[in-house]
Amino acid sequence: MITLKQTIISWGLLILLTLVSAYVGQVIENNVLFIVSVLLIVFLKGQQVTDIFMELREAPKMWRMLLLSYAFVVPTIICVIYLL
Amino acid sequence: MLLEFTLMNNTSLSSAMVHLPESNVNERIKDKRLPGDLAMWFFILAELTVFAIFFIGFAVAEQLNADMFVSSKAKLHPIAGLINTISLITSSLFVALSVRLLHLRKVKTSLYLLVISQFIACVYLVVKIWEYQFLFSLGIDIETNTFFTLYFLITFFHFMHVLLGMVILTILGINAYKGAYENDISGFESGASYWHMVDMLWIILFPLIYII
Repeated sequence: MITLKQTIISWGLLILLTLVSAYVGQVIENNVLFIVSVLLIVFLKGQQVTDIFMELREAPKMWRMLLLSYAFVVPTIICVIYLL
Repeated sequence: MLLEFTLMNNTSLSSAMVHLPESNVNERIKDKRLPGDLAMWFFILAELTVFAIFFIGFAVAEQLNADMFVSSKAKLHPIAGLINTISLITSSLFVALSVRLLHLRKVKTSLYLLVISQFIACVYLVVKIWEYQFLFSLGIDIETNTFFTLYFLITFFHFMHVLLGMVILTILGINAYKGAYENDISGFESGASYWHMVDMLWIILFPLIYII
Protein backbone atom coordinates (compact mmCIF):
# COMPACT_ATOMS: atom_id res chain seq x y z
CA MET A 1 0.00 0.00 0.00
CA ILE A 2 1.20 3.49 -0.81
CA THR A 3 1.95 5.30 2.45
CA LEU A 4 0.73 8.69 3.67
CA LYS A 5 4.31 9.99 3.44
CA GLN A 6 4.68 8.91 -0.20
CA THR A 7 1.35 10.60 -1.03
CA ILE A 8 2.40 13.89 0.59
CA ILE A 9 5.80 13.81 -1.16
CA SER A 10 4.01 13.22 -4.48
CA TRP A 11 1.75 16.24 -3.80
CA GLY A 12 4.86 18.37 -3.10
CA LEU A 13 6.35 17.24 -6.40
CA LEU A 14 3.11 18.03 -8.27
CA ILE A 15 2.99 21.55 -6.80
CA LEU A 16 6.67 22.08 -7.63
CA LEU A 17 6.17 20.89 -11.22
CA THR A 18 3.11 23.17 -11.58
CA LEU A 19 5.13 26.20 -10.49
CA VAL A 20 8.01 25.21 -12.77
CA SER A 21 5.66 24.85 -15.76
CA ALA A 22 4.25 28.33 -15.08
CA TYR A 23 7.80 29.69 -14.74
CA VAL A 24 9.39 28.14 -17.86
CA GLY A 25 7.11 30.26 -20.03
CA GLN A 26 8.81 33.36 -18.65
CA VAL A 27 12.36 31.98 -18.93
CA ILE A 28 12.69 29.78 -22.04
CA GLU A 29 12.57 31.76 -25.27
CA ASN A 30 13.18 28.84 -27.63
CA ASN A 31 9.69 27.74 -28.70
CA VAL A 32 10.56 24.07 -29.30
CA LEU A 33 12.36 23.70 -25.97
CA PHE A 34 9.51 25.51 -24.20
CA ILE A 35 6.76 23.27 -25.62
CA VAL A 36 8.75 20.07 -25.06
CA SER A 37 9.60 21.01 -21.46
CA VAL A 38 5.99 21.99 -20.60
CA LEU A 39 4.61 18.75 -22.05
CA LEU A 40 7.33 16.70 -20.34
CA ILE A 41 6.16 18.24 -17.06
CA VAL A 42 2.58 17.21 -17.96
CA PHE A 43 3.76 13.60 -18.37
CA LEU A 44 5.64 13.66 -15.04
CA LYS A 45 2.57 15.05 -13.27
CA GLY A 46 0.32 12.48 -14.96
CA GLN A 47 2.69 9.73 -13.80
CA GLN A 48 2.49 10.93 -10.19
CA VAL A 49 -1.33 11.09 -10.24
CA THR A 50 -1.54 7.64 -11.87
CA ASP A 51 1.01 5.85 -9.69
CA ILE A 52 0.53 7.51 -6.32
CA PHE A 53 -2.88 9.20 -6.09
CA MET A 54 -4.74 6.55 -8.11
CA GLU A 55 -2.55 3.81 -6.55
CA LEU A 56 -2.07 2.17 -9.95
CA ARG A 57 1.61 1.50 -9.21
CA GLU A 58 0.37 -1.51 -7.25
CA ALA A 59 -2.43 -2.42 -9.70
CA PRO A 60 -2.38 -4.89 -12.62
CA LYS A 61 0.22 -3.81 -15.16
CA MET A 62 -2.28 -3.37 -18.01
CA TRP A 63 -4.30 -0.69 -16.18
CA ARG A 64 -1.20 1.15 -15.03
CA MET A 65 0.19 1.16 -18.58
CA LEU A 66 -3.14 2.34 -20.03
CA LEU A 67 -3.24 5.38 -17.77
CA LEU A 68 0.49 6.11 -18.08
CA SER A 69 0.31 5.85 -21.86
CA TYR A 70 -2.55 8.40 -21.81
CA ALA A 71 -0.33 10.81 -19.87
CA PHE A 72 2.41 10.21 -22.46
CA VAL A 73 0.55 9.87 -25.77
CA VAL A 74 -1.81 12.87 -25.48
CA PRO A 75 0.95 15.41 -24.63
CA THR A 76 3.14 13.86 -27.35
CA ILE A 77 0.41 14.30 -30.00
CA ILE A 78 -0.16 17.90 -28.82
CA CYS A 79 3.61 18.49 -28.94
CA VAL A 80 3.83 17.15 -32.52
CA ILE A 81 0.88 19.34 -33.61
CA TYR A 82 2.51 22.47 -32.15
CA LEU A 83 5.89 21.70 -33.68
CA LEU A 84 4.62 20.91 -37.20
CA MET B 1 6.83 -49.74 -6.24
CA LEU B 2 5.68 -47.45 -9.01
CA LEU B 3 2.61 -46.49 -6.98
CA GLU B 4 4.76 -45.80 -3.90
CA PHE B 5 7.10 -43.59 -5.99
CA THR B 6 4.19 -41.65 -7.46
CA LEU B 7 2.60 -41.11 -4.04
CA MET B 8 5.92 -39.93 -2.62
CA ASN B 9 6.42 -37.53 -5.51
CA ASN B 10 2.88 -36.20 -5.20
CA THR B 11 3.37 -35.64 -1.48
CA SER B 12 6.64 -33.79 -1.95
CA LEU B 13 5.14 -31.83 -4.85
CA SER B 14 2.12 -30.70 -2.86
CA SER B 15 4.26 -29.83 0.14
CA ALA B 16 6.52 -27.76 -2.12
CA MET B 17 3.47 -25.99 -3.53
CA VAL B 18 2.22 -25.19 -0.05
CA HIS B 19 5.53 -23.96 1.30
CA LEU B 20 7.08 -22.16 -1.61
CA PRO B 21 5.21 -20.52 -4.43
CA GLU B 22 1.59 -20.32 -3.20
CA SER B 23 2.14 -17.68 -0.54
CA ASN B 24 4.13 -15.59 -3.01
CA VAL B 25 1.42 -15.91 -5.63
CA ASN B 26 -1.25 -14.89 -3.12
CA GLU B 27 0.79 -11.88 -2.06
CA ARG B 28 1.29 -10.90 -5.68
CA ILE B 29 -2.42 -11.22 -6.43
CA LYS B 30 -3.20 -9.15 -3.33
CA ASP B 31 -0.60 -6.53 -4.31
CA LYS B 32 -1.82 -6.27 -7.90
CA ARG B 33 -5.38 -5.33 -6.98
CA LEU B 34 -7.12 -2.68 -9.09
CA PRO B 35 -8.47 -0.01 -6.69
CA GLY B 36 -12.23 0.44 -7.01
CA ASP B 37 -14.68 -1.20 -9.38
CA LEU B 38 -13.69 -2.34 -12.88
CA ALA B 39 -16.72 -0.55 -14.39
CA MET B 40 -15.49 2.77 -13.01
CA TRP B 41 -12.12 2.28 -14.72
CA PHE B 42 -13.83 1.70 -18.08
CA PHE B 43 -15.87 4.85 -17.45
CA ILE B 44 -12.65 6.76 -16.62
CA LEU B 45 -11.06 5.54 -19.87
CA ALA B 46 -14.12 6.68 -21.84
CA GLU B 47 -14.00 10.12 -20.19
CA LEU B 48 -10.27 10.45 -20.84
CA THR B 49 -10.81 9.58 -24.51
CA VAL B 50 -13.49 12.28 -24.94
CA PHE B 51 -11.20 14.89 -23.38
CA ALA B 52 -8.24 13.69 -25.50
CA ILE B 53 -10.30 14.52 -28.62
CA PHE B 54 -11.00 18.00 -27.18
CA PHE B 55 -7.33 18.58 -26.38
CA ILE B 56 -6.13 17.49 -29.81
CA GLY B 57 -8.90 19.53 -31.49
CA PHE B 58 -7.83 22.58 -29.47
CA ALA B 59 -4.18 22.15 -30.51
CA VAL B 60 -5.13 21.75 -34.19
CA ALA B 61 -7.38 24.84 -34.05
CA GLU B 62 -4.54 26.80 -32.45
CA GLN B 63 -2.19 25.84 -35.27
CA LEU B 64 -4.77 26.95 -37.84
CA ASN B 65 -5.52 30.28 -36.05
CA ALA B 66 -2.21 31.05 -34.33
CA ASP B 67 -2.56 34.86 -34.11
CA MET B 68 -6.16 34.73 -32.87
CA PHE B 69 -5.24 32.17 -30.17
CA VAL B 70 -2.24 34.23 -28.97
CA SER B 71 -4.30 37.44 -28.65
CA SER B 72 -7.22 35.59 -27.01
CA LYS B 73 -5.00 33.76 -24.51
CA ALA B 74 -3.60 37.15 -23.45
CA LYS B 75 -7.10 38.03 -22.17
CA LEU B 76 -7.11 35.09 -19.74
CA HIS B 77 -5.87 35.37 -16.19
CA PRO B 78 -2.90 32.94 -15.81
CA ILE B 79 -2.90 33.29 -12.00
CA ALA B 80 -6.51 32.03 -11.96
CA GLY B 81 -5.37 28.95 -13.90
CA LEU B 82 -2.49 28.44 -11.47
CA ILE B 83 -4.77 28.75 -8.40
CA ASN B 84 -7.17 26.24 -9.94
CA THR B 85 -4.35 23.78 -10.64
CA ILE B 86 -3.04 24.02 -7.07
CA SER B 87 -6.54 23.69 -5.60
CA LEU B 88 -7.38 20.57 -7.65
CA ILE B 89 -4.02 18.90 -6.88
CA THR B 90 -4.39 19.69 -3.17
CA SER B 91 -7.99 18.48 -3.15
CA SER B 92 -6.79 15.26 -4.79
CA LEU B 93 -4.13 14.89 -2.07
CA PHE B 94 -6.79 15.03 0.67
CA VAL B 95 -8.96 12.50 -1.17
CA ALA B 96 -5.96 10.16 -1.56
CA LEU B 97 -5.12 10.55 2.16
CA SER B 98 -8.77 9.89 2.98
CA VAL B 99 -8.62 6.58 1.07
CA ARG B 100 -5.36 5.58 2.84
CA LEU B 101 -6.93 6.26 6.26
CA LEU B 102 -10.08 4.36 5.37
CA HIS B 103 -7.81 1.39 4.56
CA LEU B 104 -6.45 1.77 8.11
CA ARG B 105 -10.05 1.82 9.49
CA LYS B 106 -9.68 5.44 10.68
CA VAL B 107 -13.12 6.43 9.40
CA LYS B 108 -13.53 9.66 11.37
CA THR B 109 -10.18 11.16 10.28
CA SER B 110 -10.83 9.94 6.74
CA LEU B 111 -14.13 11.85 6.71
CA TYR B 112 -12.48 15.04 8.00
CA LEU B 113 -9.98 14.86 5.14
CA LEU B 114 -12.78 14.29 2.63
CA VAL B 115 -14.60 17.40 3.89
CA ILE B 116 -11.35 19.44 3.63
CA SER B 117 -10.90 18.19 0.04
CA GLN B 118 -14.39 19.46 -0.80
CA PHE B 119 -13.69 22.90 0.65
CA ILE B 120 -10.49 23.12 -1.41
CA ALA B 121 -12.43 22.03 -4.52
CA CYS B 122 -14.81 24.95 -3.84
CA VAL B 123 -11.82 27.29 -4.41
CA TYR B 124 -11.68 25.91 -7.98
CA LEU B 125 -15.42 26.53 -8.47
CA VAL B 126 -15.27 30.10 -7.13
CA VAL B 127 -12.19 31.01 -9.21
CA LYS B 128 -13.67 29.49 -12.36
CA ILE B 129 -16.99 31.34 -11.92
CA TRP B 130 -15.05 34.56 -11.25
CA GLU B 131 -13.02 33.92 -14.43
CA TYR B 132 -16.19 33.44 -16.52
CA GLN B 133 -17.74 36.62 -15.06
CA PHE B 134 -14.51 38.53 -15.73
CA LEU B 135 -14.61 37.48 -19.41
CA PHE B 136 -18.33 38.27 -19.71
CA SER B 137 -17.64 41.75 -18.29
CA LEU B 138 -15.15 42.26 -21.14
CA GLY B 139 -17.92 41.39 -23.60
CA ILE B 140 -16.38 37.98 -24.33
CA ASP B 141 -18.61 34.93 -24.64
CA ILE B 142 -18.75 31.55 -26.39
CA GLU B 143 -19.43 33.17 -29.80
CA THR B 144 -16.57 35.69 -29.71
CA ASN B 145 -14.14 33.55 -31.72
CA THR B 146 -12.90 29.95 -32.18
CA PHE B 147 -10.58 30.17 -29.17
CA PHE B 148 -13.32 31.25 -26.78
CA THR B 149 -15.78 28.73 -28.24
CA LEU B 150 -13.30 25.95 -27.40
CA TYR B 151 -12.25 27.60 -24.14
CA PHE B 152 -15.81 27.79 -22.78
CA LEU B 153 -16.73 24.37 -24.17
CA ILE B 154 -13.75 22.50 -22.72
CA THR B 155 -13.46 24.35 -19.39
CA PHE B 156 -17.23 24.24 -18.72
CA PHE B 157 -17.30 20.52 -19.57
CA HIS B 158 -14.48 20.03 -17.09
CA PHE B 159 -16.30 22.27 -14.55
CA MET B 160 -19.33 19.95 -14.79
CA HIS B 161 -17.04 16.97 -14.11
CA VAL B 162 -15.72 18.72 -11.00
CA LEU B 163 -19.30 19.27 -9.82
CA LEU B 164 -20.18 15.62 -10.51
CA GLY B 165 -17.05 14.51 -8.66
CA MET B 166 -18.02 16.63 -5.66
CA VAL B 167 -21.52 15.11 -5.62
CA ILE B 168 -20.00 11.59 -5.80
CA LEU B 169 -17.55 12.33 -2.97
CA THR B 170 -20.35 13.82 -0.83
CA ILE B 171 -22.41 10.64 -1.27
CA LEU B 172 -19.33 8.51 -0.46
CA GLY B 173 -18.72 10.61 2.66
CA ILE B 174 -22.30 10.07 3.85
CA ASN B 175 -21.98 6.33 3.17
CA ALA B 176 -18.68 6.20 5.06
CA TYR B 177 -20.30 8.03 8.00
CA LYS B 178 -23.05 5.37 8.03
CA GLY B 179 -20.37 2.66 8.17
CA ALA B 180 -20.85 1.33 4.64
CA TYR B 181 -17.12 0.82 4.05
CA GLU B 182 -16.20 -1.20 7.13
CA ASN B 183 -15.51 -4.37 5.14
CA ASP B 184 -15.11 -3.29 1.52
CA ILE B 185 -13.95 0.16 0.46
CA SER B 186 -13.97 -0.43 -3.31
CA GLY B 187 -16.95 1.93 -3.77
CA PHE B 188 -15.03 4.68 -2.00
CA GLU B 189 -11.93 3.95 -4.09
CA SER B 190 -13.98 4.22 -7.30
CA GLY B 191 -15.20 7.71 -6.39
CA ALA B 192 -11.68 8.75 -5.39
CA SER B 193 -10.28 7.46 -8.72
CA TYR B 194 -12.88 9.51 -10.60
CA TRP B 195 -11.76 12.59 -8.66
CA HIS B 196 -8.10 11.94 -9.52
CA MET B 197 -9.12 11.63 -13.19
CA VAL B 198 -10.70 15.12 -13.00
CA ASP B 199 -7.39 16.33 -11.55
CA MET B 200 -5.39 14.62 -14.31
CA LEU B 201 -7.53 16.27 -17.00
CA TRP B 202 -6.85 19.71 -15.54
CA ILE B 203 -3.12 18.90 -15.46
CA ILE B 204 -3.28 18.72 -19.30
CA LEU B 205 -5.80 21.56 -19.67
CA PHE B 206 -3.82 24.10 -17.65
CA PRO B 207 -0.70 24.30 -19.87
CA LEU B 208 -2.73 23.85 -23.05
CA ILE B 209 -4.96 26.87 -22.39
CA TYR B 210 -2.92 29.12 -20.12
CA ILE B 211 0.78 28.44 -20.73
CA ILE B 212 1.62 27.28 -24.26
